[in-house]
Amino acid sequence: MKRFLYPFFAGLLLLTFQATLLASLPVNRIRPDVVLILILFLGFSYPTVLGGLIAFSLGFLLDLFSGNAFGLYTFTRPLIFFVAQLFRSHFYWKGFSFQFLFVFIFALLEGGLILLLVSGLNPSPFRNLYSSVIIDLLPQSIVTGLITPILFPLFEKGSLFLVTKLRVAIKRQG
Amino acid sequence: MSIRALSFFRRYHIPTFIIALLLFGLVLMSLRVKQRPGVAFFDALFMELTSPVQKAATFVIKTIHGVFQHYVFLVHLEKENGLLKRRMAELQEENHQMKERVMANDRLLKLLQFREKMPASMIAAQVIGQDPTSWFKSVTINKGEGDGVQKGMAVISPEGVVGQIFKTSPHYATVLLMTDYNSAIDAIVQRTRAKAIVEGKEENRCQLKYLLRTEEVVVGDVVITSGLGGVFPKGLMVGEIRSVDKKGHGVFQYADLVPGVDLTKLEEVLILSASPPPPPQPEEKEKKAKKTSAGSPKKK
Repeated sequence: MKRFLYPFFAGLLLLTFQATLLASLPVNRIRPDVVLILILFLGFSYPTVLGGLIAFSLGFLLDLFSGNAFGLYTFTRPLIFFVAQLFRSHFYWKGFSFQFLFVFIFALLEGGLILLLVSGLNPSPFRNLYSSVIIDLLPQSIVTGLITPILFPLFEKGSLFLVTKLRVAIKRQG
Repeated sequence: MSIRALSFFRRYHIPTFIIALLLFGLVLMSLRVKQRPGVAFFDALFMELTSPVQKAATFVIKTIHGVFQHYVFLVHLEKENGLLKRRMAELQEENHQMKERVMANDRLLKLLQFREKMPASMIAAQVIGQDPTSWFKSVTINKGEGDGVQKGMAVISPEGVVGQIFKTSPHYATVLLMTDYNSAIDAIVQRTRAKAIVEGKEENRCQLKYLLRTEEVVVGDVVITSGLGGVFPKGLMVGEIRSVDKKGHGVFQYADLVPGVDLTKLEEVLILSASPPPPPQPEEKEKKAKKTSAGSPKKK
């Protein structure tokens, strides 16, 4: 249970951080998606079922506080997590360039998927939304990619702390 | 058969879980599109549970910001003080003129019986969080169903239109800002009375659509609500035209609009708790007139 709750609360805090402090940045479009970074980190370090559930719950929360009526992130976030898991055994994910590129590409992919879903679910197409790919999505994905090398080690430390705590608890129980 | 099914599930339990979770996400999306009440209940429940975290975070950020503003920036206070005194004198003069205009405006409003179109009451709310995604434009406020807030209510600020209530929970609500792609407001250009629809475009930008090409609109023209949508009362400031696009063919021209309210720095909002009455039909007007003429002698 703790293995679910700790990352979930970390995600909730990051979501709050994203919706409050990061939203007060002078340029809103460079606000990084810190929750996406956490989900991609979980894709590398967490088991499928547990990580999938966390990604699903965080996607649900993201939908709750955003102005989208369809619940797009409840679908895209677990999908992103599962796709990220496919790469876990094929790449060395601790290098700066890989972390940046990996998150940058995934942020762009998710943006594309959301655009596709919004266009598909709405009867009238939003032409204004397409301009957002260059105006909003690209800078945001770059910034998200750039802060990944700072956040990934932090998440790793947190994850190690959690594992050692669980091991100690298991040893005590015998 | 059941043992075989069990062994199949054991063998493929992870792919089954992945497919089930993604399908659940799609089903949830479909339920939301159909606006099923059960989903709204769960949304409200989770919003109620998680919003206090946002509220607390906003409080901490505002406190820290306040400390910085009050103590750290004291260095520039003297210079700023002199500047402010001069500005205050200018503003006082401006204020006197404005008061005169407001009083005249009030009298005219009473004469034209516009007051009956104004909603009965307003609910003041504080913004506790912005939209965490970059695709959608919304804010979370600290008032909900318990305070009388309902889905679809108009949200304004003293500077003009903000948006509409989009989701509610007992103590919190989400406001869809007018800059969101899903937002559409019936409006008129104040100077020419040309009708148009204001749609969200991007961060702090809207687009004026379905504006007839024959209408003469220029940069700087003020756009106000028409009152026809049944959500916003007539005459609220929507924004100012920044560019007009008459290129291309067709019946309509397009214009870019900057909202009257800076939606990126929104802190407090007002919710119109009673929607404005629909514009009276000519028949209704006649009936009303008959009723009043028939009712007045009785009172006497």
